[in-house]
Amino acid sequence: MTFISKAITAVGGILLAHACYSAQEHSALQSFRATSGAALTSAPTTAVSLPLDIVLETIVSTFIILLGLVLVTRPLRPIQWREWAGKIEREGEEGFKDSNGEVNKDYIGNPFAIFESRPNFVDIRKQRKEFAQWVKKEGGQKAQ
Amino acid sequence: MAPSVFRSPVQLPPAEALELSKQAPAILRSSANTASTSAIGAIFSAPEKPEEWITYENLILSSLRTGDDKAANQCLARLVARFGENNERVMALRGLIKEAEAQNDGELEKILKEYDQILSENDTNIPIAKRRVALLRSMGRLSDAASTLVQLLDFSPTDAEAWSELSDLYLAQGLYPQAIYAEEEVLVLAPNAWNVHARLGELQYMAATASGADGGSYQKHLAEALKRFSRSIELCDDYLRGYYGLKLVTGTILKDSGKPAKLTDEGDFVLPDTKTIERLNELATAKLAEIVRHSTAQDRGWRGYSAAEVAAARELLSEDSSSGIVR
Repeated sequence: MTFISKAITAVGGILLAHACYSAQEHSALQSFRATSGAALTSAPTTAVSLPLDIVLETIVSTFIILLGLVLVTRPLRPIQWREWAGKIEREGEEGFKDSNGEVNKDYIGNPFAIFESRPNFVDIRKQRKEFAQWVKKEGGQKAQ
Repeated sequence: MAPSVFRSPVQLPPAEALELSKQAPAILRSSANTASTSAIGAIFSAPEKPEEWITYENLILSSLRTGDDKAANQCLARLVARFGENNERVMALRGLIKEAEAQNDGELEKILKEYDQILSENDTNIPIAKRRVALLRSMGRLSDAASTLVQLLDFSPTDAEAWSELSDLYLAQGLYPQAIYAEEEVLVLAPNAWNVHARLGELQYMAATASGADGGSYQKHLAEALKRFSRSIELCDDYLRGYYGLKLVTGTILKDSGKPAKLTDEGDFVLPDTKTIERLNELATAKLAEIVRHSTAQDRGWRGYSAAEVAAARELLSEDSSSGIVR
């Protein structure tokens, strides 16, 4: 997916550069013709606008670049409460990774989980005991 | 993947807490001990980040749990160097380390006296007041803890964490109506918290199924539980805990739908008709089955559920299919 979108963006960029170059060449040619033509004939010089194909090429290439950029964007974040909450419950950390695969720093899981973990009221002695028991159990399993 | 040091480690399973506390020496080494309090020092040193201090706090919690008191004391020393001895949070953390290191009840009593001393100097020191409640509870003095906590809530009634702890304290003593009241206060402060809605539903269900609930209050508690679980899944798509509770409650209601429904006081929430409850039950069963199927297969985007919860849901479903829904 990323390769396709990058390729599309590159093609659009080349087309846009080509359109710019053509426009520049066209205007240079026009001014040259105006100065040399005025000397040879006395025809009135008219301001000539860009030919239609260059205009079309510019517009089309812009849209191709846009298409390439839109394809590479990540899915939008949910803006409805229940969707966002469901995403936290269903996907956990995985749903909140940035393009580098790192979990977003602002991600804290369910923000209301502190009403059940209550870090300020933690019973540290109980936790220590439970942990010691867990270590014993694990050690016993490994020894077997 | 290693758990993040930025999140509170209180509810992590033991293996992850161990992993987290193993990071402590590396983090202590990598960040230099250069909390400068002088103004000139602050100009030349690198800008400090708030995450650093959260990291230290969480490291203290997880290394105390795993018994690494040395790392905990080092983290505390850094916090003291930055915030001073008399910072309320630092004081609470110091007390926490002392509690963890205490060997017998005498030492705990001494710590309790120290807390009393601190509170007599400044009785608005909320972190220390919370530690005092936690210590009383840890020593098994539940009713003392509850009354102290009620005093704390008297002058700080918007503390949802404290209300939640009060609810849990009352529940530990079997006082269901009080526990439900306190949990409702949490909901007043955080009306969108889907896990608190589910918790209240669980409390109502426990109150209904506890022995001694008479017919009227039984119906009322079940109806309330139904309402709470429904709200929790309204606030959160695919919420395993909400659907689990919903299935449990609707199953119970359908099982004794033969009994005459006693409609007590007006203004109470009346149960919807049997047809609606049956449809809710079917919905919960379907959703639970979907969640269990996806997370057993480890499908992408369904890996956030805890394994224990999924196992419990699977058990509930298999129980249901083996006995058939009793109508």
